[in-house]
This record gives sequence, C-alpha cells and structure tokens, in this order.
Amino acid sequence: MRLFLGRNAFPLTVGAIAVAFLTLFFLLPLLKVFGASILDNAGMRFTLENYVNVLSNPFFLNGLTNSLTIAAAAAVCTVLVGVPFAFCLARLPIGGKAVLLALAALPLVLPSFVSAYALVLLFGRSGIVTGALHSLGIPFDSLYGAKGIVAVYTLTLYPYVALPVIAAFKSVDVSVEEAAQNLGASRARVLRTLTLPLVLPSILSGGLLVLIEALENFGVPFVLAEDRPILSVEAFKLFVGETTDNPASAGVLGVLLVVCTVIALLAQRGILARRSFSTGTRRSAAVMPVSPAMRRLGATYCWMLVGLALVPFAAVVVISFMRFSGPVLQGSFSLDNFTQLFARSYRPLTNTLVLATLAACGATLIGVPIGYIAVRHRSRLSGLIDIVATSPFAVAGTVLGIGLVMTYSGGFLVLTGTAAIMILAYMVRKLPFAVRSASAILHQIDPSLEEASINLGVPPALTFWRITVPLMLGGIVGGFVLTFVTVASELSATVVLYSGRWSTMTIAMFQALEGTSAGIAAAAATVLIICTVLPVALVYRLLRRHELSMM
Amino acid sequence: MTSIAIESVARTFGTVHAVDSVSLSVRDGEFFTLLGPSGCGKTTLLRMVAGFCELDEGRILFGAQRIDTLPPHRRNTGMVFQNYAVFPNLTVGDNVAYGLRARSVPRAAMAERVARALKLVQLDGYASRWPHQLSGGQLQRVAIARAVVIEPHVLLLDEPLSNLDAKLRVEMRAEIRRLQKLLGITVLYVTHDQEEALAISDRIAVMRAGRVEQIADPRAIYERPATPFVASFVGTTNLIEGTVGGRDDGTIEVAFGGGVIRACGAANVGDKVVLSLRPEALRLMGADEPLPAGWASLTGMVGEVEYLGPVTRFSVALPDGTPLRLMALVPPTSPGAVVAYDPDRVVVMGAAPHGAAP
Repeated sequence: MRLFLGRNAFPLTVGAIAVAFLTLFFLLPLLKVFGASILDNAGMRFTLENYVNVLSNPFFLNGLTNSLTIAAAAAVCTVLVGVPFAFCLARLPIGGKAVLLALAALPLVLPSFVSAYALVLLFGRSGIVTGALHSLGIPFDSLYGAKGIVAVYTLTLYPYVALPVIAAFKSVDVSVEEAAQNLGASRARVLRTLTLPLVLPSILSGGLLVLIEALENFGVPFVLAEDRPILSVEAFKLFVGETTDNPASAGVLGVLLVVCTVIALLAQRGILARRSFSTGTRRSAAVMPVSPAMRRLGATYCWMLVGLALVPFAAVVVISFMRFSGPVLQGSFSLDNFTQLFARSYRPLTNTLVLATLAACGATLIGVPIGYIAVRHRSRLSGLIDIVATSPFAVAGTVLGIGLVMTYSGGFLVLTGTAAIMILAYMVRKLPFAVRSASAILHQIDPSLEEASINLGVPPALTFWRITVPLMLGGIVGGFVLTFVTVASELSATVVLYSGRWSTMTIAMFQALEGTSAGIAAAAATVLIICTVLPVALVYRLLRRHELSMM
Repeated sequence: MTSIAIESVARTFGTVHAVDSVSLSVRDGEFFTLLGPSGCGKTTLLRMVAGFCELDEGRILFGAQRIDTLPPHRRNTGMVFQNYAVFPNLTVGDNVAYGLRARSVPRAAMAERVARALKLVQLDGYASRWPHQLSGGQLQRVAIARAVVIEPHVLLLDEPLSNLDAKLRVEMRAEIRRLQKLLGITVLYVTHDQEEALAISDRIAVMRAGRVEQIADPRAIYERPATPFVASFVGTTNLIEGTVGGRDDGTIEVAFGGGVIRACGAANVGDKVVLSLRPEALRLMGADEPLPAGWASLTGMVGEVEYLGPVTRFSVALPDGTPLRLMALVPPTSPGAVVAYDPDRVVVMGAAPHGAAP
C-alpha cells in the first residue's frame, strides 16, 4: 500500500509531540512516585516494606478509609440532590431555566476550598452562625470533619451529576415514552421502567466523576478535616516534611490515591462506552404537564439547591468587605482586608494571571491538535493518546506535583522552583479540558467541509487554519477560558510546586488560612472568585454544557 | 476538461473488497454515472479520483497524466458533496471564491468569475448572503458554482440530489445536465437512484460489491442488461432461470418449470440461462384475441392486483407457481390469463456467475 507522507505527517507530528509531552511531564513523574513507593530508602533495592509500613499504620489506614468513605458519601449525596434537580430542569415547566443552568454550572469553576472556608467562617468553632446559635442557647456542633467535607462536596460537585443527566433526560426519545403510555403504563411506571434506566449510565458516570474529584481534592479536607487523616493531605504533609521528609511513604499514599481514582475513571469510561441506547432521529421529550403545586415544588427545589451552593461564595465576598480584629468579625464594612492582602505584594495576583494565561495557552496548543486527531484520524494510536491525555483528570494534583518535584529536582532537567514546572503541571492537569472541548466541537463539524476545501486546492495544513480553526473557535475559546479559570483556582499541585517568587492567589489564601488572618483569606477568596466568574461570564455563550461537565 | 482512465483499481477495507479491480474510462466531456446499491464501492471509487481514498492497486489518469499519486489539493477536481459542505463561516461569494483564492487568481478576474458562476446556477445577487439563509436547493447550487468556478479537469458529484425533496430533485438533475452540456465538462456522477442515472447520463457503470457489472448507455443498460443483477437493479423485471431446450435460426427455446419461453439470442442446447422479461414487454391477451405476428405466449392464473390509477399492476402465477409481474391499462377481468410477449424483447443472460440476482 502506498502511503502519502503528507497525509500522515500531521497526525504523526501531533502524536509525537503529545507522546513526548505526556511522557515527560505526566507518565514519568507518576512512575517516579511509583518507584519511590517500591524502593528502599537508599533508592536502590525493590521492597514492599513501604506498603507494609503505611498499611500497618492505623493513622494512614484510617486516612484511606476516610478518603474512600467521604468520596463515596459525596458521590451518593450528589446523585441524590443532582438527579431530581436534573429531572425538574429537563422535564418540568419551571421559569428561568437558562439562568438556573448557568448558576448550576458555576460551582464547577469556583474554587471549592473557598466554599469550605466559607463554611468555617459561618459554622466553624468561632463562626458567625455558630456564635449566633450559641448566643440564642441552641447547641450546635461545628461542621469540621466528614460531614462538613461531604456537605461542601455535595454543594460544589453536584453539577458533575446534574449537567450530564439533564442532557440524558432531554435525549430520551419521547415516542418511546409515548409508546409505553399507549401500552397502558402510568407516568410513574414509565419513569421507573424506562426513563430512569435510560439515564442511569449518565447518573453513574456523573457519580464516579464526583468520586474522583472528591478523592483527589486537597483544599476542602485541608480546611475542614482538622486532625483526621485524608490521603491527599497526608501525602502532601509527608512529602513537604511537616513531620519528617518521607518520599517513600508519600509515594505509597500517592499510589493508593491514583489506584482508587484510576479504577473509578475506568469504571466511568466503561459505563459511557456501553451506553448505546441511541436511536437515529429523536424528538426530545416535551415538558410534562404537572399541577401548579408540583411545579412550585420543583422550582423551589431547584432555586434552593442552586442558591445553597452559591451562598457560601456570596458570604465570603460579603465578609471580605467587613472589618476584622484578629480572627473576630466586626460589624462594619471596609476595604482593610484588601489593603492588607495587597500591602505585602501584588505579585500573587499577577502571578496567578500570568501563570493561568500561559498554562491555558500551552494546554490549548497541545490539547486542540490532540482532540483533532482523536476525532479525525481514528486509529489505535490516536485513541490511546486521547485516553492518556484525558486521564490526568484522575490524578490528584498533589501526586502529580510530588512526581514532578521528584523527577525535575535533579538530573537532566532541573525545574523545581521555577514557574515552568507550575505551568507544566497545570498544562497536564487541564489538558482534558482542551482536548474534550476541541473534540466535542469537532464532532459537530462535518469532515466533508475540510475535504471540500482540500478539493478546491487548499493543502491540508492550510485548510486546518482556514476552515477548521475558525469553525472550532467557539470550542477552543471555551476550553481556553475553562483552563484559565480552573488554573487560577488550582491549589493541590500549586501547594507542592510553588516557590516564594511564584506564589499565587490560592497560596496567599492558603497561607492566610494557616495563620489567623481570616480577613485576608476572605479577601483573597473574593479576588479568586472574581478571577474565575468574570472570564466565564464574558464567554458564557461560547461554553457548552457538555464542556462544563467535561466528560 | 479531460478524459479519465481508471485502471485495475482496488481497495480493501479489512476483509471487504470495497473496490475490486475496477477498470473504466470516461471520455472527454462525457456525463458518466456510477450506479449501484449502497456499499457497492461507487463512492469509494469517486473518492479515489478526488484523492480522499488511497489505492491499494492500480492507477488513475486524467488524459495522459497520472493523478493518483498527487495529493487531493493538486488534482484540480471539482467535487460536489452529498451534504453540500458549504463553508458556514463564509458568505456565498466567499465560498465560490475559495478555490480561486487558493489558485491566486487576481482580484478583478476573481470577482468576475464568481459573478459568472453564480449567474450560471441562477444565484446572481446572492454573493453577500450567508449559507444559513439559504434553502437546501440553493446550497446545492452554491456547491456546484464553487466546484465549477475553478474550471476543474473533471466534476465529481457524490449523490448530490439525495438530500433534496422529490420535486426539486427532478428539477436539479435537469439543471446539472444543462450545465454540463453548456460547459462541456467531464462529469463523474455517483447515485443509487436508477431513474436519475437513466435520465441524466451519457453512459452508466452499474456496480455491485466492488465490481463493475456493465458499462453502457442508459438504453442499453435498461433494454440489454448484461447480468441478472443489472436487469433487476435497473427497473423492475421478471427473472426466469431455465435450460436451453432447442435452438433455431437466432431463437432459442428455454424450458423451465412453468413452460417454455422463446427468446432471441445465442446459446447452446443444455446451457443454463437466465431470462429477463420486463413487465411492460408482457401483454395480457383478451379471451380470443389473436397473438401479434412472431409473438409467443404463456398461460397462468391472475394473482395479486394493484390498481395504480393510470395503470394496473398485477401478477400471473404460471403453472409451477412462478409469478410474472406485468402491467396493463385495464385491470384483468377473468381469473385465467394468457400472457403474450415478443421474443425479441426477452433478454438472455448466462446463468449468473456471481449467483442469482437478489
């Protein structure tokens, strides 16, 4: 068979760059973490001692069960609140659906640890609400520990379930339901025997994404867990040597964490791959006629959920404009917190903006071509690259950070302490956004458009620029902004990788949390919220729901 | 404007022979149609000419120049896609100018050629419109203007009418034919619609399972099909398998379960043959109506009758149960039927080497 090098040059180049990038900054660091976990202290001999040590230590074992229990509880809770929300939004005649949808997607881009911090400010030991309740003589246990963490996860991660399930409810062919009713099934029976089974894959897949996110999250347990061990936090503590510098044990915890998330990701992929109920043409289900009481109930539920999820962020913004004396909140407004925050330096803010912009550019430049070849040049290689490029989603930022430090603190390439290592970590972590948003929009662009251009005499590479890129622009910009805002609020890899010079807004807030400057932390949180909400609001029209829900 | 020579071209996808050693040549200025059911390889063959599908074997030439080694953007073919593929991000004018820009045509000449092409497809004044403002038929015209404006060696059309409604389809096919004659351009046209192929083509290649069954002009394809497949795919027919029982001066007698059929053709006694009797070549005879000179007849019982308005379609079961489909202007009145035919119009084919027709 004759091969046109010209035709295969593009996918081969993209494939080579993607493989090189992912090998160097994703697979190699993970391998290093794995290596550290199975080598003795001298780093020479193979040993399982580290695993024995960690797993026989009740503290770490506790951490594993805590992490898994909390993540599972979060998955169940998000399904419980997210599915009814999705049903109401997809099927009930509720007003303001566009606004509800936009608000429901918002928690995906807001930093979840800000929500956790808001809970501390409101319901913590010296929280505003706790204080008020106590002064009224109502006993109230603070929200630290598992229940607080699960609550925050439920309120910040429910869109992972709700958004895909809304789409699934809408995509059920109405004639299938009509056929069931025609055969004598009541509406409740149709829902139970047909509609729910049809959307079940989306529910399970959303729940597993929540499980992954909850397992790898660093900021929320850092704020709320207090002394209870959580894998992602303990790996970090072991690695930076709060107790003792212990890369082997950190490696073990990292490997355990990655194993859990990868299993969940594989399960999620499997569920999505087997979901094949699709029919050719379909009429999406009409809005259900329900009694006004039901409608009001549904609307109340939706607005309450969306409101509850956003109240903590609003509270932090309000609190950031209030006067503090030490940790104690005063009743008056001022800009003191912001003055104090920026009195030290503006660098964290400029660092955040610069790093997020560069990381978003990098992720877009690498991710869009990967998404392109994954859709247009179907082969085993492109399929594999697609899977590897989207799997950083399942790797905890802390673990990736630890791996990068292990790999690039010596040897052929020294990067620790530079901005480059942070940008690379962000690019790897957010690559799935760029890849997914590119491939999502490409699925909507008919390949014959590109063929028509080539047929008219424009070479493939030029066709890509003239036809494909302009048509993909919405998706590319959407992916860019998502990458930007999620990098801006990134904490778990940053906390491992940052150096003084390249401290970010999230680090500023993190440090303020560790200290007692609640006011400064709130101010930093407000700045972060602005950094994320503003870009998303600006390009909201370009963002598609399936990009926000990502997979 | 050029001739196309396709020489022993083959392509396999996995274990499927999508195109299996196909050779054919299209004359300069000819309207040549590839006709066949879906999956017969006609689109693959067209895409090989355009350069979007690689060849495993064989070669393709435009005139004397071999082109299958050229990348698609250097072949100078104008292709019209099934879904039009009009660039949604460009205006109608920019769509048509797209290929001219790639050829660095000077601005003034470009404007003039775009205007001329749009006029040709009766879209003058539409240059500044956006594709989403146009109807399906108009988009089709844009696609055609865009393909012909570059003055391609050959025009390639991949089922261009299949997305249009029935009435527009008939209109557009006449227009495509008019344009082709006006420009004198060589056209390679792909369709699965046999009526369309008959109406529009100079010559037709009927394809099946990656192979060419017959290449001929529309009348010959319909009236003298070379294989049972061609006979049954193009139009409706009655296929009857039998054995040559006798021969005499250019006519043979073919015996089958339901009787004996006389046909004009050459075959040896004892040969297995397949006969094709078109419904319109059969005539239901009145009770004591005499047979026209030289005709022969079969007898049977009238079966299902479908009244279609201008004609009535019905079947006659021969003594062995073989159904004969035929048409008449008036519905049959009696259960017994005498069906007359002209042996001249019975087509004799060798018993299919590829198996019986579907």
